[in-house]
Amino acid sequence: MILRKILIANRGEIAVRVIRACRDMGLASVAVFSECDRAARHVRMADEAVAIGPNPPADSYLRIDRLIDAARASGADAVHPGYGFLSEHEDFAGACHDAGLTFIGPTADAIALMGSKTAARRAAIAAGVPVVPGTEEPLGAEVSDAAIVDRARDIGFPVMVKAVAGGGGKGMRVVASAGNLPSAIRAARSEAGAAFGDSSIYLERCLEHPRHIEVQLLADHHGQVLACVERECSIQRRHQKVIEETPSPVVSSELRARLTTAAAAVAASVGYVNAGTVEFLLDEQGRFYFLEMNTRIQVEHPVTEVVTGVDLVQWQIRIARGERLTVPAEQLLTPRGHAIECRVYAEDPDAGFLPSPGLITSLRTPSGPGIRDDGWAETGTEVPVFYDPLISKLIAWGADRRQAIARMRRALMEYEVRGIRTSLPFFHWMLRQPAFESAEFHTEFLDELLQRRGGRGFSDIDPSLEEVAAIAACIADMDEQRSGRSDRTGSASSATTGGRVLLDRSDRAAAATWKQRARVEGLRG
Amino acid sequence: MTCDLETRGGQQSIDIRRRGSEWELTLDGRILSVDVTAIAGRLSLLMGQPQGGPYDPKVEAAFRRPLRSYEVAVERRSNGERIVYVNGLAVPVSIVDPREQLTRRRTAVAAEAGPRSIVSPMPGRIVKVLVREGETVAALQGLVVVEAMKMENELRAPRAGQVTSVKVVEGMSVESGVVLIVME
Repeated sequence: MILRKILIANRGEIAVRVIRACRDMGLASVAVFSECDRAARHVRMADEAVAIGPNPPADSYLRIDRLIDAARASGADAVHPGYGFLSEHEDFAGACHDAGLTFIGPTADAIALMGSKTAARRAAIAAGVPVVPGTEEPLGAEVSDAAIVDRARDIGFPVMVKAVAGGGGKGMRVVASAGNLPSAIRAARSEAGAAFGDSSIYLERCLEHPRHIEVQLLADHHGQVLACVERECSIQRRHQKVIEETPSPVVSSELRARLTTAAAAVAASVGYVNAGTVEFLLDEQGRFYFLEMNTRIQVEHPVTEVVTGVDLVQWQIRIARGERLTVPAEQLLTPRGHAIECRVYAEDPDAGFLPSPGLITSLRTPSGPGIRDDGWAETGTEVPVFYDPLISKLIAWGADRRQAIARMRRALMEYEVRGIRTSLPFFHWMLRQPAFESAEFHTEFLDELLQRRGGRGFSDIDPSLEEVAAIAACIADMDEQRSGRSDRTGSASSATTGGRVLLDRSDRAAAATWKQRARVEGLRG
Repeated sequence: MTCDLETRGGQQSIDIRRRGSEWELTLDGRILSVDVTAIAGRLSLLMGQPQGGPYDPKVEAAFRRPLRSYEVAVERRSNGERIVYVNGLAVPVSIVDPREQLTRRRTAVAAEAGPRSIVSPMPGRIVKVLVREGETVAALQGLVVVEAMKMENELRAPRAGQVTSVKVVEGMSVESGVVLIVME
């Protein structure tokens, strides 16, 4: 099959990532955009762009009809869904198929099967892969709280309440005792209903201090399923991954062999095609349990790319056009060095990680050896309130974990985002935690750590650096006053920038002019 | 000229004056000289011990002088509030105007005791109101759940007190900065 032009049914970082893959392969790309994304990076980067509606996702990025129309109108022959939005929506994959478009992902049937977390659990059991003990059938809105409490008692507290149609930590709650269950059911149902249009939930036993380990798969149309070295994603805040790395610091090559074999078995049993990820929980005794399968490219895919040397997005496209996987299985299973990813969000870590949308007045991204920044924001970008606040993924590679951490720390020092708050200060702090360095963590590790800190911020700054900041503020203030802008109550937008009379190098020779200016200001006053 | 500043670490006083092309600063009894150059919206600071005479890059001694190098950006907020970006971190600094200091202290005291408004930090939708008017709440108790950017965010009581007014209902859309709850 020949693919020439790909429509990317997404925005932000992943749209930029897919456009880059298209360009690398000599394929044309079509961006779609909502009103506020008219000037977004992905629109400017793509070869063509199509407007698809107003800002709320339901009116634009989730409008299957408009996306199909956009693909038809632009003459695209394939659609890449990215992650989030419609990426795991079987109706979208089906609509693409019906319109004669190649959906770059698995079949609608595979998406539907794995999209139901309870059906996915049954598939794993059928493939001989252990699952976390829990309810096998979905608990719809008609099931009473009392009945759910009974089921929870059978499974044993603490239990996890999860959305059947879930993903991304939405509609997920940990419940310690029967008394707290009804409120958790309400919250989980409401969040799941809003996010997925399905308020069905299910229960799973909450394992003691598990690690989140996942296996990236590539499966072609010729029956071949290849597994990649595992990713460790145990650093999570409220069930959302925050830091991911590969390989896992605790997985031996023997365990890796069993994990990857189990993951491939689940995919093979459902005839899975394209890129996907099987997620496991690993308990303290080294036993693993199937958690769920994500039927899309994942946010954290770059760490795998960096240590295996394969371009997963390119392979998604190559598989979609019918190519056979030609990567040696051994290459995917043998990590070259170590990679870590930090998800940089427009969130204020000092205010309980509240979203912090707005105008980025200045952005400088890090670079240099072992550093990759997959982002979409730039100086002048307005981070909209309507979508996921991810602005970039910072990936550090090193010959070993130690070097990867050192490079990540260095890159964080180079990373500067002004105008909005970001999660960067949190990463500065996290990468210096002894427990992170020694890799002694589990999926509740970060939440417990945050609980202990009781809302304390992360911007505790070394006193010597605070002194430098104070000196800088003092000099800038003094310079402002001299240059005649002594109004300390000035508008927030008037940032102190270069070009000030006394600070500018070229004006040094004319240092005496400030006296003249001061006199003028004096006369004016 | 003396500049009074406040950082998270505490208050400090910096005596600042120009000495030729350099700035000479006195803080905590130490004297520092700082060479400042503006470059594309940022400042390059080279800090070191004063050498007696004015800094002159053409003078032989300048070649042997080790200076600490920092690149900073100073962003202006209102009322003397500054954000200084250095080494990838945003450091808040307040410049204290002696005339304003008294009023600031007064308002700070008033803020501790008086009514406190809980405002919406961003545009969003009210998912759940967790308190009723007249209810006594503990510090950090959840007051209202706002959904924004696809996540539910719980706004908590900044301190213990009584809810005097609930201005929103569940399902309502709110803009940024709107008062949701008043407590005292």
